[in-house]
Amino acid sequence: MTYQGVGASGGIGIGRVVRIVQADLDYSGVSFAGSEAEKERFQRAVEAFCAKTQEMAESMKTRVGEKEAEILSGQIMMLSDPFLQSQVEEAIDSGLCAEAAVDQVCGNFIEMFSSTGDELMGQRATDVGDIRTRMLELLLGVSTMRAAEAPAGSVLVAADFTPSMTVGIDKEKIAGIATEIGGKTSHSAILARALGIPAVLGVPNISKLLQDGQSVIVDGSKGIVLAEFDEHTLAEYEHLQQKEREAKRQLDAYRDCPTQDASGNRFAVYANIGKPEDAQAALEYGAEGIGLFRTEFLFMDRTSLPDEEEQYKAYIAVAETMAGKEVIIRTLDIGGDKDLPYLHLEKEENPFLGHRAIRYCLSNPEVFSVQLRALLRAGALHKNLKIMLPLITGVEEIRAAKELIETCKRQLQKEGAAYDADIPVGIMIETPAAARIADLLAKEADFFSIGTNDLTQYTLAVDRGNAKVEGLYTAFHPAVLRNIRDTITAAKQAGIPVGMCGEAAADKKLIPLLLAWGLDEFSVSPAAVLATRKTISEWSAQKSLATAQGAMELSTASEIESSLESST
Amino acid sequence: MVSAKTKLTNPMGMHMRPANLFVSEMAKFPCDVKIIFGGKEVNGKSIMNLMAACMKTGSEIEIFCDGPQEQDALDKAVALIESGLGE
Repeated sequence: MTYQGVGASGGIGIGRVVRIVQADLDYSGVSFAGSEAEKERFQRAVEAFCAKTQEMAESMKTRVGEKEAEILSGQIMMLSDPFLQSQVEEAIDSGLCAEAAVDQVCGNFIEMFSSTGDELMGQRATDVGDIRTRMLELLLGVSTMRAAEAPAGSVLVAADFTPSMTVGIDKEKIAGIATEIGGKTSHSAILARALGIPAVLGVPNISKLLQDGQSVIVDGSKGIVLAEFDEHTLAEYEHLQQKEREAKRQLDAYRDCPTQDASGNRFAVYANIGKPEDAQAALEYGAEGIGLFRTEFLFMDRTSLPDEEEQYKAYIAVAETMAGKEVIIRTLDIGGDKDLPYLHLEKEENPFLGHRAIRYCLSNPEVFSVQLRALLRAGALHKNLKIMLPLITGVEEIRAAKELIETCKRQLQKEGAAYDADIPVGIMIETPAAARIADLLAKEADFFSIGTNDLTQYTLAVDRGNAKVEGLYTAFHPAVLRNIRDTITAAKQAGIPVGMCGEAAADKKLIPLLLAWGLDEFSVSPAAVLATRKTISEWSAQKSLATAQGAMELSTASEIESSLESST
Repeated sequence: MVSAKTKLTNPMGMHMRPANLFVSEMAKFPCDVKIIFGGKEVNGKSIMNLMAACMKTGSEIEIFCDGPQEQDALDKAVALIESGLGE
């Protein structure tokens, strides 16, 4: 049997099912023992809750991290709230037993928090739900089996995991996780990825379909759970698991170490993301920052433009997750192959050469300034956001965008809103024009980021979606490489940071060239962060310089590619 | 009873951490602390009440303190809010 879900944490886990089932919390058999006695029971349960939760928070802090621990300390603050406690006592005075009083008061708060429609408040509703469950367990004297009690080789299966269920989880003992509820950003998913446990979430009815003790395979990369498999399948998966572990062990060594080449020169590996929740994955993969946050997701699959508040929430979520690390946010890059039906953009003969990206934004300042205001405001919290303008071809575009940014700052100042007055404004280098005048652009931009996908397409005049010419599309063409080299050189001369956020930044064959020319920051997909850091560590300054020199003396893309192939 | 009008300046609004800071500082004063926001009355000593009120950055609020040390409590409350609640 194969059950399909969402792969939330990669890898293969093979083990026996341990179902984590919530204990029965029915308190209809509890009779009211008098106001004083019920209040006394309530207070004792509160004390036990706080003591136990404190202990769990400490253990979380060392095992999983500060963030998870903070959720638990927050629960202590919430239950210790005098207002919440007085409400419970009032409910008891009205003749309810402690269980019913806790249930009712927590229920009210859950409703209050969920009805705000605010994401942070939604998380608080989850917290109050967890408080209610554990307080009822304490009052009723029942307990739910926790992940910490599962024996070695367990695959944990549950409808859903609350933070308290997973406290004390031991990654050495847990082979995999499968749940009915939850997507890539749920508590279970974040925890599983942080611990490196394969997890498949969102499998309908899985906790009822599987039996305790049954052998299962959790394939977190494919998002499937296998039960009742034959020996051949098992052997295949065991082999795959072995290979994965070996590869992972090798890469794991690069997770918490600085990015440097074999000569000790420092570089940085950042991640490219498309949604706020991907920032968490980027961190988990060891990214030192976000080199490209595409904002199109905010504008797609909807019928009207997102307002300032909605955009602000998305940007601040990333700023918060990445606190202490840089986040480069690219402004709306619409047009070309990315259409927004509700904007009723005119059909163009040559959309890639048309009214798109910065061109659209500058001619629609009422749309652009909403995004700029949201970015300026979101930058105020940790001062870690940077604005990046796409498809720049000339200096006047930077000037116009900067002027609009200054206008937005003045408005925010007048409104008394907090904003980052010093937010850096940089540009994408993705047109041959920008590469040719990189020295002029460097005087006006705070940083460069080379977008190799578009730079290649525009430099070589090749539509890579067109099968008849896609063979001509290659970043190894000397024209593309010269554009990259000259852009980096111009940035170095002007003393501004230069990164790369196209696929080329993760290409093993191109990395020595980028190192030799002095690229500061390599922004790659989260899953490629560790491999990129590893490749960088294998090149000495001398060797990469010689490799770059040799390659740049060759005349064709295929000669360059094969020479780089043989030197890696 | 004393009161003062002010405006939330911390970027994230009244979420868990700022609310906790505010409540634990206010707990040091014996007087009652109330906040009027959007026509609703919020208990300034309750983290649950403060969070549920959903105050955002830029929200205009009025703080009322009533009882012993009311002026000290009010001054502290306004100073906390205006300094961005530790953010």
